[in-house]
Amino acid sequence: MFFHIVLERNMLLHPRHFGPHLRDKLVAKLMKDVEGTCSGRHGFVVAITGVESVGKGMIRDGTGFVSFPVKYQCVVFRPFKGEVLEAVVTMVNKMGFFAEAGPVQIFVSNHLIPDDMEFQSGDIPNYTTSDGAIKIQKDTEVRLKLIGTRLDATEIFCIGTIKEDYLGVINDPGAAV
Amino acid sequence: MSSSSSDDFADLESELLAISSDESPDDEEVEVEEEELEVEDFENKRIKRQKVEVLEEIEEAQGSTSLGALRQESGASINDDICPHPASVGGMCVVCGEKEVDGSAVPFGYIHKALKIGSQELARMRRADLKSLLQKKKLYLVLDLDHTLLNSTRFLDISPDEGFLMNQTDSLEDIQKGSLFKLDSMHMLTKLRPFVRTFLKEASDMFEMYIYTMGEQSYALEMARLLDPGEVYFNSKVISQSDCTQRHQKGLDVVMGADNAVVILDDTEFVWSKHKENLILMERYHFFASSGRQFGLNFKSLSESSRDEVESDGTLSAILKVLKRVHQSFFNSDNEANLMSRDVRQVLKSVRKEVLKDCKLIFSHIWKREELPENQKLWLMAEQLGATCTTERNQSVTHVVSLEAGTDKAHWARKRGKFLVHPRWIEAANYFWKRQPEEAFELEPPKKP
Repeated sequence: MFFHIVLERNMLLHPRHFGPHLRDKLVAKLMKDVEGTCSGRHGFVVAITGVESVGKGMIRDGTGFVSFPVKYQCVVFRPFKGEVLEAVVTMVNKMGFFAEAGPVQIFVSNHLIPDDMEFQSGDIPNYTTSDGAIKIQKDTEVRLKLIGTRLDATEIFCIGTIKEDYLGVINDPGAAV
Repeated sequence: MSSSSSDDFADLESELLAISSDESPDDEEVEVEEEELEVEDFENKRIKRQKVEVLEEIEEAQGSTSLGALRQESGASINDDICPHPASVGGMCVVCGEKEVDGSAVPFGYIHKALKIGSQELARMRRADLKSLLQKKKLYLVLDLDHTLLNSTRFLDISPDEGFLMNQTDSLEDIQKGSLFKLDSMHMLTKLRPFVRTFLKEASDMFEMYIYTMGEQSYALEMARLLDPGEVYFNSKVISQSDCTQRHQKGLDVVMGADNAVVILDDTEFVWSKHKENLILMERYHFFASSGRQFGLNFKSLSESSRDEVESDGTLSAILKVLKRVHQSFFNSDNEANLMSRDVRQVLKSVRKEVLKDCKLIFSHIWKREELPENQKLWLMAEQLGATCTTERNQSVTHVVSLEAGTDKAHWARKRGKFLVHPRWIEAANYFWKRQPEEAFELEPPKKP
């Protein structure tokens, strides 16, 4: 789920940046530091949409660096247990398959793939129904429900299921060919 | 959605959960009712959920697993212990998503870095996998990289005599066609063993193949890319050093294959101490000079003398023939019904026994007189190859194996018209799984003084 929230961060800036463009430098550095990172609490920072305020800078003893408390608005993406997501399959093996929804990696175990879908090894490993009508392979798009999430400093990892009504393949690139 | 603080994320999560788990029952009557009462407090929902569950239990007598999983996840008090936690990714059970603690789970880093599989699940998967594999008339093949399928050297170790190779490398754009590659990122030069492409192609029809190397993961993956640019053979089946559960040992515990259906190709025997019976020992492929030096060999390397193994007659082609025989005799036995309980180790043993069948060997001047011949490596090797070994000279002896041509037994051999061969004849037969022409290993008669 996406959220638009305000976060705060202490930015350390080197004295060489002090000048008329100080604020620009600060914002540029903020974007570089924060966008694409992950925190267990807020999830994945997708984009910074604005800076609310830049507080008074404090010179750090001994280094000359100055720390500015910056409040900024940003869009974050945080997966929740029970959330339904659409994701692209990245890898299929006998254990199940891995899929990605943006920065989030999701694993769907073969226990949580409908029983009528069986694993087929070969050039393109896939899960297929016995009549061959539905196929999950690399690059297939699936709708899945998250049943467990783990947020680390650098990545978000989830466990998902497609063994429920209205979940499963929503578009199959292999079928079009 | 906007909020200045994120403290309410936790509340949101539990709410979401409650909603999603309430949506799932497939009982229509209840669903309609639910829609009408969409805005209601949490307490009420709880009661209703229990009601739904009772309904489900009555109506869905078959009790599908999805139902079980569902209840688990909704955190309902009934059947809390139903999930066996078969495997985990990043510490979460793959079935129920709960934090799972199971000390016995085996890490499968080569499939996913955080994947662990419990022993029961592993056994179940092995059985299921074996069944489907045998239906396709395939077995498992575990392949070592260095000295078995290829040979690598660091730029630093390239000797002056083989420096010319640096300019003869093949393009990484078209890996399928080349065999000598320069990997700048790893400072390495890699030479694929002749015949390896044909070998992999033909072996893949009979086997599901794994790479298992003591090298690092990055190296292993790079080599897999050279061997299999189309990612047809080794898709998430590249096992490297970090996946081994024991130091300096390779084990089949991380291979998703049942022990009785795995054939191993490796040039080093001791790393497979628990699985010697599955192993086909490979003659080492030393293309680069540095590679031979590591093993104390001091003759000119293949690269320095601009030679290579012969494509059609090298080790890999010989071993491919062995694999074909093993595969054939595994699947062609008469007892068709009992496929699951067949053992490829027995097949290997009996195929090996064919090699020197009908040979009766006597050894001369190979070990000291006081040593027990039955414990000698050569003696055991010959017996494994199906030869009969003896210590008594008689008419039934066919070969005299000796290091010197001037011994009593050697003279006896020449007089009686027996083969007089160097011990390398046995070793060669052991590597090629084929009786070698004796002439090539014959000992020269001693020069008259």
